[in-house]
Amino acid sequence: MSGQHNDDHGHDHDHPHAEVGATGRPGYYDMLETAVRELLIEKKYFSAGEIRRQIEVLDSRTTALGGKVVAKAWADPEFKKRLLANGRAACEELGISFYDDTQLIVLENTDRVHNLIVCTLCSCYPRPVLGLPPDWYKAKPYRARAVSEPRAVLAEFGTTIPDAVEVRVHDSTAMVRYLVLPMRPAGTDGFTEAQLAELVTRDAMIGVIPANNPEGARV
Amino acid sequence: MAMADLIVKERSAAIGVVTATDEVPVFASGDRIRIKNRTPIGHYRVPHYLRGKLGTVDQVIEPVAVDNEEEGYGRNAGQRLHYYRIVVPLTEIWADYVGAAQDGLYIEVYETWLERIP
Amino acid sequence: MTDTAHLVTRLPNDIGGLEAGKIERTDHTLEPWEKRCHALADVLDFHKILNTEEKRCGVEALGAEMVGKLSYYERWIVAFSNILFRKGILTPTEVALKMQEIEKRWDAQADGPERVI
Repeated sequence: MSGQHNDDHGHDHDHPHAEVGATGRPGYYDMLETAVRELLIEKKYFSAGEIRRQIEVLDSRTTALGGKVVAKAWADPEFKKRLLANGRAACEELGISFYDDTQLIVLENTDRVHNLIVCTLCSCYPRPVLGLPPDWYKAKPYRARAVSEPRAVLAEFGTTIPDAVEVRVHDSTAMVRYLVLPMRPAGTDGFTEAQLAELVTRDAMIGVIPANNPEGARV
Repeated sequence: MAMADLIVKERSAAIGVVTATDEVPVFASGDRIRIKNRTPIGHYRVPHYLRGKLGTVDQVIEPVAVDNEEEGYGRNAGQRLHYYRIVVPLTEIWADYVGAAQDGLYIEVYETWLERIP
Repeated sequence: MTDTAHLVTRLPNDIGGLEAGKIERTDHTLEPWEKRCHALADVLDFHKILNTEEKRCGVEALGAEMVGKLSYYERWIVAFSNILFRKGILTPTEVALKMQEIEKRWDAQADGPERVI
């Protein structure tokens, strides 16, 4: 079968993917997905509309939502308490619905504790609030090494944690998902929640880097 | 939290409430446990690197839930027990761990994988 | 006297603590079929046809070679197919014939507007 889409997902796709088949014959797995989906729809297990709707659901879940949660926790101490007590309920307060059965535990970074999240067995990630995880989070090097040499892994991301600070590595394996609440950067007094949210990146909520400083992005 | 669980049991007894089988968690926050060392084939969710390790219960996860090893084979219902968030020092897991002595690994483990140690 | 038990007792995805190299900071925008595949997983879960744990188990069951060589969503869609076959919801023949139909559909459309189905 020609045109097989055997990409090693380690390189970027620089061609647009506006529509199926717009740029070339669908690969084997693309056609397998289409076959399975069309058959299930024909047999009335679900409708095409449900798939379209769920794609919209997925598209609406992005890092920006997590940034709003973190910014509000920084700005509003009562919200932060509720967030740390029940992450899912606090997210739902903001309208971030959880379409699955997962719970959310939010882990606060302090000057004494640094949290890092991994899923060694697969790719568990707080998708309802952050969207889909990056490829490196799902690949072997991160998953293998985060639990055995977290400080070396953090160093690879440019993050050095002093020995006096405890590193906590969270291996998601069941129904709880995790989100790191990074420390609020210095020099942000009086910032609005929107301004605070701009400093929060996906990687900071995974725990591999701190939140950005207000002067500019950290490398 | 250990005290809170005892309080639940005491309060239930005091008011004449009998709790259902498996309703009250077997372990409480602060309990010292060992992650069992059995070697299942097929689907499992307790990684090899943690088998047989000593740790402490950090938190009881509520509510009770189905065993995810059985859920992997299509079981969506049936007996439900508790998951527990366990903390294991990284120095306990890796003989040559490079880092701080207080660094820890946190993971949720199903009740059937845990045994109490004195 | 080769001990092969470790192949049986350690799942291919159970890699915590194993030796591994540098973290390549890779990411890619999902292809349309990959996003559809993710949506398919969620919709199958909502309908209690195939839950998350079954999906994980299905991917593990592909074995070390496929787990190592297929990409993330490629593993998912093959695992889904296997599980749906086992549950009697789809058959291999149905899927094979449907894939041929899809190929024909694509080839006909690629030949030009006068051949649109």
